[in-house]
Amino acid sequence: MVPTRDAPPQAVRRAGDQITVCLAREIREGERVFHGVNSPLPMVAIFLARRLHAPGCVLIEIAGSVNPRPRFMPRSTNDPELCHGAASLFSNADIYDLFARGGVDLAFLGGAQIDKRGRVNMSYIGDPASPKVRLPGGGGGAVIMPQAGRTVVWRTAHDRRIFVQEVDFATQAGSLCRVVTPLAILATRGGGLELESVHPGHTPEEVAGRTGFPLDLSGPVPRTPPPTREELAALEEIDPGGVRFSEFKAP
Amino acid sequence: MRGFQGSDIPERSGIFTIEDPYTGESLYAIPALRPDWALIHVQKADAEGNAWILGNRHFDVEMSRAATRGVILTAEEIVPGEELAREPEMTAIPGFLVRAVAEAPGGARPCSCHPRYGVDAEEVRRYMALSATPEGLAEYLSSAAPGRAT
Repeated sequence: MVPTRDAPPQAVRRAGDQITVCLAREIREGERVFHGVNSPLPMVAIFLARRLHAPGCVLIEIAGSVNPRPRFMPRSTNDPELCHGAASLFSNADIYDLFARGGVDLAFLGGAQIDKRGRVNMSYIGDPASPKVRLPGGGGGAVIMPQAGRTVVWRTAHDRRIFVQEVDFATQAGSLCRVVTPLAILATRGGGLELESVHPGHTPEEVAGRTGFPLDLSGPVPRTPPPTREELAALEEIDPGGVRFSEFKAP
Repeated sequence: MRGFQGSDIPERSGIFTIEDPYTGESLYAIPALRPDWALIHVQKADAEGNAWILGNRHFDVEMSRAATRGVILTAEEIVPGEELAREPEMTAIPGFLVRAVAEAPGGARPCSCHPRYGVDAEEVRRYMALSATPEGLAEYLSSAAPGRAT
């Protein structure tokens, strides 16, 4: 069993649960859904959706397992436990081939920087020729993002270093549909990313102040529905060890 | 291949586009990776290097084909060739691609080897803490593989 660490602080618990249920709600019944490496929140969210409103969605995870039934929620989203009970193993070549054929409805991807136009940087901070920080890169993101039906990006923080006017480098782009953060959901509209809803406990002004590109606050901004009792109960059953909190930095 | 639309990677990496002669679609021509060696740990192999990979194969099969000088293989268990030959469809890496094979039970630790053992998270944390400095890395290696650290 994966050791359970100390209980997370209340703020982390609230944000982790909110982001996870928001990601799960993006999944529609019957869809083929993909998550990559280092993606604990989307992994838990997909299991949540399968438990609740989308039991027929097909999870294809980066290591190739199709609809696995792990005996515990692994901390790594590339853990061999994700082979357990899988309907099939689908190779990496198969996964990218499926994307190229337009066969994946929804992909969850991360992003170090995100700009108004929905471009995502996973490569360099600063001038790419002499970067301040060399990031790990996007994996297959540059191929996945333009070819997925929709891409949802999540972050466990929300600030002006993440949400920038222009990314320093566009690692990947295309099909970005929503970005889910501890504060809000941003959605792609005609002119780029805009505020779709603000999570309970936060305000549109706070989100705008922590976003490095302009957001249109002229109309009313809905409140994100908080996790329901049913969602929270299912989350505790699926992920009692709190893998969904593991991406948050220790306070 | 398809993909890369909107990405700065092709320009920065010097990846050329080509026109699909059948459809006219613009596609990316990715240069082949040609590593010298592939180091691969498997669950089961025979003395010729014929190897089974249980669970997800990740890039192991592609790596074994790409390595121009061959595969260096370690296995949890070396078994007689007849045992593997009973189910040849299970052999992911044929021995003719393999230059060396050694039995190394626990050879993937502290990472995982499905279904024998999972990730040893505590040991990975210890590695990450120690490997921040060259001295720490040497200490880790000498404790993880006594007598074999350099």
